[in-house]
Amino acid sequence: MNFYLKYFIVAIGLFAFSGFFALFGVYAERKVSAFIQDRLGPTETGKYGVLQTIADVLKLLIKELIVPAAADKMLFMLAPAIIFIAVYMGFAAIPWAPGIAPSNLNLGLYYIFAILSIETLGILMAGWGSNNKYSILGAMRSAAQIISYEIPAGFAIISVVMIAQTLNLQAISAQQGILSTEKASFLGIWDVSKNGGFINGGIMAWNIFRAPHLIIAFVIYFIASLAESNRAPFDIPEAESELVAGFHTEFTGMRFAFVFLAEYSMMYLVSMVGVILFLGAWNTPLPNIGAVHLADWTTGVGWGIIWTVIKVLILVGIQMWIRWTLPRLRVDQLMNLCWKVLTPLAFLCMLISGVWRLWVM
Amino acid sequence: MTMVQLLFYLIGFIALASALFVAATKNVIRSVFMFFVTLMALAGLYVLALADFIAITQIVIYVGGILVLILFAFMLSGRENLAVLEQQSNRFINARKLPALLLAVLFFVVMVNILFKTDINNLTWVKKSIALKNTITPGNVMVNNIGINLMSRYLLPFEAISILLMMALVGAAHLSRKEKKA
Repeated sequence: MNFYLKYFIVAIGLFAFSGFFALFGVYAERKVSAFIQDRLGPTETGKYGVLQTIADVLKLLIKELIVPAAADKMLFMLAPAIIFIAVYMGFAAIPWAPGIAPSNLNLGLYYIFAILSIETLGILMAGWGSNNKYSILGAMRSAAQIISYEIPAGFAIISVVMIAQTLNLQAISAQQGILSTEKASFLGIWDVSKNGGFINGGIMAWNIFRAPHLIIAFVIYFIASLAESNRAPFDIPEAESELVAGFHTEFTGMRFAFVFLAEYSMMYLVSMVGVILFLGAWNTPLPNIGAVHLADWTTGVGWGIIWTVIKVLILVGIQMWIRWTLPRLRVDQLMNLCWKVLTPLAFLCMLISGVWRLWVM
Repeated sequence: MTMVQLLFYLIGFIALASALFVAATKNVIRSVFMFFVTLMALAGLYVLALADFIAITQIVIYVGGILVLILFAFMLSGRENLAVLEQQSNRFINARKLPALLLAVLFFVVMVNILFKTDINNLTWVKKSIALKNTITPGNVMVNNIGINLMSRYLLPFEAISILLMMALVGAAHLSRKEKKA
């Protein structure tokens, strides 16, 4: 029984974390947008408005759950749950620190990629269930966008997998630091693996620096991940100036909160996958330099969690920064970018990965 | 009954019940969403058979791809067209359904026959594999095996499929191309 109890506790912990992150994320988003637009943002509730999002959640909790008369009640009520659960299940395979992962799957990366595609279904369900023109247009835009951007994202991921030779996220993480047993070299020329040269480990062993084309792959993945989590400049599914709020127009109270929770968990999850694949996962950015073993001192379970969280929060910060800086793309521009720019580039990255693995590494 | 058996029967029941709902309901959209449950249950059965790669591929291709495309087609066709479908008389046994019913019953008879004729617990190839320890355990990593087999033993079918997909892509691109004005 204890065996199962452990998994329940981990699952509840992850749920609590995603809730906490959504609270923090919404507050941060409002403060960041206020800073970028030269406003103040929330200031009234608590010091600097820190209690604002908690007040918002309390408000959402006591709001009436309205189901539109013409809605397909079953689909309408289930949709927010499916959208959130799809994202939440993705957290199951994500490693946080050396040896710390809810489930150390040997197909972890593929699993996350698969489980995230279920979110599209939830969005279509919400759009159709609402029986509302704005919702259905938003849902269809969202589905088209997510399906299209899965392709460049997938190929960017494959180009990393070809270098790493595994789908196990924990193994991919371990390769990018001083705990790795195989040879890692900075840009393919300078050996930085353990016992390699004067400097080893640290930022130079991260995947984006192990092969130069992975920098491009990272940018492709990052752009595609923005599109997959429906964030600006790819937020045409909920373009408020044309579609009110897109697929979640009709949702109220806790159902709306779940859609929001899913959006912020998705931001965290895609950033975390990006960090694990490209930015060294839980590995420290500090290298061992000669006798100064900075990397050895800053590697471990506690440090691992700290590094992961810092890196992910930086990526989430960049996502917010982009959202409040760039204007929204039109549908045709969005598709052009995906199919005519990102997809060929991602293919090229995959090709280079193969060549790199065969002849350089 | 072990945990695995319990899970097998539970998932099997979900798969069958949801598949029945998909076939029986008049509400087309709901049946598509129920199909999602069927596909997930099938993925669960694959996991129980230690075919985790197949399970995930099933979700990626069927749930993430095909199901979404089916929904797309329905949503583009609009509510009025779907309402026509719902008005059809849908009696379970019906003279027009006789061929289908006959086929289903015959197929069922064949399946039952096979089930009774094979002695599942004493199959020779299964016993041989167990004796030779040629089995997989939950901890095994099967991806490398799949990759090597695809690139060696099953290379020709693999390439044939890729050519087929290429043809489909070229065809789709041709159909959706803008007509040049004469």
